[in-house]
Amino acid sequence: MYKYVLKRVAFLIPTILGVTFIIFAVMNITPGNPGLAILGPTVPQEDIDAYNHALGYDLPLLQKYVNYVRDMVVDQDFGISYFTKQPVFDEIWPRFQLTIKLSLLGVLLAALIGVPLGILAAVKQYSLLDTIPSILSFFIAAIPGFVLGTLMLYVFSLKLGWLPSYGTGSFSHYIMPVLAIAIPPAAQNMRFTKSSMLEAIRQDYVRTARAKGAPERTVIWKHALRNALLPVVTQVGMSLGLLICGSVVVEKLFSLPGIGSLIIDRINFKDEPVIIGGTILISICFTIVMLLVDIIYAFIDPRIRAKYSKSKG
Amino acid sequence: MKKKCLTLLAAVLALAMLLAGCGSGNTGGTQDGTSSTGATNADGERVLRIRKTASLISTDWELVTDTADLPIIWVQVFQGLYGINEAEGGYYKELAKEVDISDDGLVYTITLQDATFQNGDPLKASDVVFSYNRAMQNARFNYVTNMIDKVEEVDEKTVRFTLKYPYSAIDHTFFTIKISSEREVTEAGDSFGTGPHTAGTGPYYISEYDPASGLTLKAYDGYWEGEPAIKEVQYIIISEDSAAVIAFENGEIDFMTDAPTAEWDALVAASGENNAVLKGNNIRMLCINYQSDVNNGILGNPLVRQAICYAVDKESVNAVAAGGLGTPTAEYMPSDYVPTAPAAAEGGYETFEYNPEKARELLLEAGFTEADLEAGISVGTLTTYGAATGEKAKAAQVIQSNLKDVGLICEVEVADASIITPRLKAQDYDLGIYGDSGNFDFNNIRQQVHSESEGTQVIKYRDENSCVDWERVEELCDLGVGTTDVEQRKQYYTELWSIIAESATIFPYLHMPVCVVWSDDLNIDKAQLCPTYYHLYDFSWQ
Repeated sequence: MYKYVLKRVAFLIPTILGVTFIIFAVMNITPGNPGLAILGPTVPQEDIDAYNHALGYDLPLLQKYVNYVRDMVVDQDFGISYFTKQPVFDEIWPRFQLTIKLSLLGVLLAALIGVPLGILAAVKQYSLLDTIPSILSFFIAAIPGFVLGTLMLYVFSLKLGWLPSYGTGSFSHYIMPVLAIAIPPAAQNMRFTKSSMLEAIRQDYVRTARAKGAPERTVIWKHALRNALLPVVTQVGMSLGLLICGSVVVEKLFSLPGIGSLIIDRINFKDEPVIIGGTILISICFTIVMLLVDIIYAFIDPRIRAKYSKSKG
Repeated sequence: MKKKCLTLLAAVLALAMLLAGCGSGNTGGTQDGTSSTGATNADGERVLRIRKTASLISTDWELVTDTADLPIIWVQVFQGLYGINEAEGGYYKELAKEVDISDDGLVYTITLQDATFQNGDPLKASDVVFSYNRAMQNARFNYVTNMIDKVEEVDEKTVRFTLKYPYSAIDHTFFTIKISSEREVTEAGDSFGTGPHTAGTGPYYISEYDPASGLTLKAYDGYWEGEPAIKEVQYIIISEDSAAVIAFENGEIDFMTDAPTAEWDALVAASGENNAVLKGNNIRMLCINYQSDVNNGILGNPLVRQAICYAVDKESVNAVAAGGLGTPTAEYMPSDYVPTAPAAAEGGYETFEYNPEKARELLLEAGFTEADLEAGISVGTLTTYGAATGEKAKAAQVIQSNLKDVGLICEVEVADASIITPRLKAQDYDLGIYGDSGNFDFNNIRQQVHSESEGTQVIKYRDENSCVDWERVEELCDLGVGTTDVEQRKQYYTELWSIIAESATIFPYLHMPVCVVWSDDLNIDKAQLCPTYYHLYDFSWQ
């Protein structure tokens, strides 16, 4: 198991190098430059070129990439923002923490709502406990977080006055954003868990367990659920990764200063150090989440554990 | 059972820890004391909460680029020798107490106000010299400083500007360049602008600054014109228009300028009498590239260009792009804000009022047949920038439809400004929509028409096949700044604009509106509201 984890951690390095290079390449081919964005269109081209040169923006792609990786690895330096002149890490870290907080809460809530409902719907198939959540999830999964968020703002903030519409000062500020990002994946989790459970319930080993006279609780919780959870764990892990990358819409709607909205804002200004630093942080986080999913997977699935135990032996 | 309980307990604990973490740190705009009836600070004073759409990138006035940030840093925090008040018709003396101009117009001797910086230091001539020398090293300000030969300290309260040539548009320079504390800026070094400071002479200093969530201003009690009535101001970043409208309706924001026109009815309903639609100093224009080779150089034909101008229905554009709140115009700069701008009402230049019949006649005169017009004649692509659903994109669609009505066909292309702006500068377009804003002297047009601004022109006039007498245009630019007589300047600029208008290459069509709303308990004189540079100093609580 230890070897498995090490192998996955080692995989982080080429992933980050690859992501960094892709971002550098993409930034290099997109039009615009920081000199133009900062100095404005009234400034002659030679002054814009001089400004870009002073920033090191006009260096060849490979040289820029190598310099960046060297600074990142040797000095843990993500550079200085072209715009705010502040260290990139100081800019992205507080925002990243907020996004992580939001995404973790969202994914936890989505799992707490979606997974039990999915199990219930599968176990009580064709009953009201299956039909109502299934229909609801069908509609909710189709509603984008942005629409849901606007609706909640209208109801809970404007009409009822229960919750503040922006900011991050207290727990109440998080209720609507977390719900807005949790409800659509909760619906997906419910549908995913239900289909996975239904598939597991129809397996021979479940039939065997029942034939052997095992109580229904044991059959569901020990035999069916454990196997059905394997794809659900992947789904939940993936949704956490997607929320980290994709919570930008909700961040914008509720005026939360997260990493996604920062990157979007700075793309317009070609603030390369911030865009690359933020993307690297997101990709590291995404990779770690996927690693955790794999580890949990290994704990749930005895076949993976056995494979690594054998190779160790 | 015990194991399940433990698992459940662990899950609940994890959730509780996460939720507890939510309360730590306040990166948002609200704080204790916020309610729908108003926010107060720790001292129990009312806090004015203003919506901002994007991060402030720096607290150094030289680095602020977003036009929405200029009123904050350039007006409330820093001041120039001159200020601007559009509501009262232009520039006024701010840190300049007296201005003496030599007979040849080359030397300006300025006596300074008895002002102090927010750090308590008195304003001295050396601070002015320092601020100008610093700005003159910044390429961004070349266009307002390249006429200055030197800036010298005469005595502690007097500064002398020597110009390379007479330049009556120097008022714009005196407004644009802000005066900062030499001591504080020097001590801060490269880190100046990355945090709060007290280096300005304005009525407010920056007490908190976080690019992520906004900034807080506090009243400077030693302000040379008297302490401001509003003691604390919070700028809160709310980028989404719909969220901002809800925040205003909910009483979480007290003042919003550049409010979304699409939500104007809701905002008017929520604000009662406390709203105003101001004519913005922000004009949209259609540009026609006479050098484009589209359809065998069709845009090189002046009759076709004129037909395009006659075909544009400004009222329809206003209705669709600005919700009917804008002001259709034929002026390159608003004559009511810019004393030297030629007023359309006074005549003297072609305005191309909407006339589709005339447009068709011009096309027939240009050699096209009725059959050609029925089939549609291609004039290439109408290019603009901004959001795909933004006002420029909407205007482009209306103009596309207007052109189709007279027999001209064009495609519409909308992309990010970072892509389109360089293309407009490089003359890589057929038809384009762009905007020009914040002009207070007609001399600013030289950025578009003078060859010294080759890199900024949307239309390149200096060319051997030019569609205008560009030498006369440049001569008029120079004549315009060679005299301080406003009427004389206006005559020069009327002739200049008549040449450009006649060429049908730049066609102003709309003043964008500036919609402003404020809460009941805020005291604002509507007549004093300015579209570009509002003054918090004039506001007070009821």
